Amino acid sequence: MEVIMAAVVSEACKDVASIASSGWDFSCDFEVDYGSEEHATIVHEALAVDQELQPDKVRRHTSVSDGKLIVRFEAVEARFLRASFSSFIDLVVLATKLIEEFSPQN
Amino acid sequence: MEKKLISIGFEGSANKIGIGIATLDGNILANPRSTYITPPGHGFLPRETAQHHLQNLTRLLRSALDEAGISPADIDCICYTKGPGMGAPLQVCAAAVRVLAKLWNKPLVGVNHCVAHIEMGRVVTGAEDPVVLYVSGGNTQVIAYSEGKYRIFGETIDIAVGNCLDRFARVLNLSNDPSPGYNIEQLAKKGEKFIDLPYVVKGMDVSFSGILSYIESIAPVKLESKECTEADLCYSLQETLFAMLVEITERAMAHCDTKDVLIVGGVGCNLRLQEMMKAMCAERGGRLYATDDRYCIDNGAMIAYTGLLAFAHGITTPLEESTFTQRFRTDEVHAIWREKSSPDVNNGSVNTIEEKTGS
Repeated sequence: MEVIMAAVVSEACKDVASIASSGWDFSCDFEVDYGSEEHATIVHEALAVDQELQPDKVRRHTSVSDGKLIVRFEAVEARFLRASFSSFIDLVVLATKLIEEFSPQN
Repeated sequence: MEKKLISIGFEGSANKIGIGIATLDGNILANPRSTYITPPGHGFLPRETAQHHLQNLTRLLRSALDEAGISPADIDCICYTKGPGMGAPLQVCAAAVRVLAKLWNKPLVGVNHCVAHIEMGRVVTGAEDPVVLYVSGGNTQVIAYSEGKYRIFGETIDIAVGNCLDRFARVLNLSNDPSPGYNIEQLAKKGEKFIDLPYVVKGMDVSFSGILSYIESIAPVKLESKECTEADLCYSLQETLFAMLVEITERAMAHCDTKDVLIVGGVGCNLRLQEMMKAMCAERGGRLYATDDRYCIDNGAMIAYTGLLAFAHGITTPLEESTFTQRFRTDEVHAIWREKSSPDVNNGSVNTIEEKTGS
């Protein structure tokens, strides 16, 4: 499973400060390609249980498409975006390690 | 022959991460643990503690499975600490068990950390229906079972007794390895002079924060003037705090008409506390039940065993409800397994009665 490396490389984080401010000025989009609909769905469902702690400051949307976990963060300030993004990534890495090491077929 | 129910439990509510494997009769097949130890003078913070758990989880899982000699297919349910505890460390185990539950296709069981301490203590010592003193770095409660729940008879109104000891250890710059409380206990053995400290029992409850403030303020002065030693302060603090705990435990015993006491939680492995409690129990014609550091201190097996008790009575936690919570009181849990007229033990064919275990 060479997914996690590809995922880190394909991370495209852009802090977009839009001029017509809707409040949600900072966003970040990235994908993790698991090459498996099942594995991407496991990570998606496992991590979707925990809501963002400050939904008025950060929102997270995740979905699965074509074996990929697709994630979008939006925040009102860069620091909230950074904090939420980094703790989410830590859990994605943990989930991926568990899948790689403890899948029944392995 | 029917197969024994086996569960795996994940504990990570504070600075220890533990993964235990247990059977329904209380047999512990594996119970590896890793403790996040900070430098002297420092406590543990949520983010750094969560990082420690993240770094150790897969290694501990591998060693738990190897030590127990089982494969994931042999496991009947996956248990985890739902709360109470620190948010970020709790989340690591909660997220991990959700992934494993999907990966291995096993049911989840969320467990109350305090109830797990009690059940582990009961099964290890064989105490039937004791008054329980639960003392740790995060909790101080006197508990007894009554009508389906573990009721809190008395508790701290501010900080936990272990927190008071840990923070005093920081004042003296004692090592946090293996734990600050252990090092206070060792130093206290050399204490000779008793320094008067405030003694704060309020009915069934206790308060420690004022005692901590007081000793923090007098310690530098008295040490500077050589009026007493660090050992004297450790000794005096332990004697005062533990006398308060013995007093409220004795009062709860009178309320419940129970002679036996069980001490659980990290501070429970302090031998001086055990000795003082034992003397009180002996005077009342009762017995003290206590365990050593393997089971007193947070561990995965206590979560595995308590979750399995619930699972055997049909309780599981659906994935979408497998949250964690920093606040989760002992008396919120319906201890269905302690009821006399409980339904038949779930023999593996999962007949799920879903029960919410708090928010």
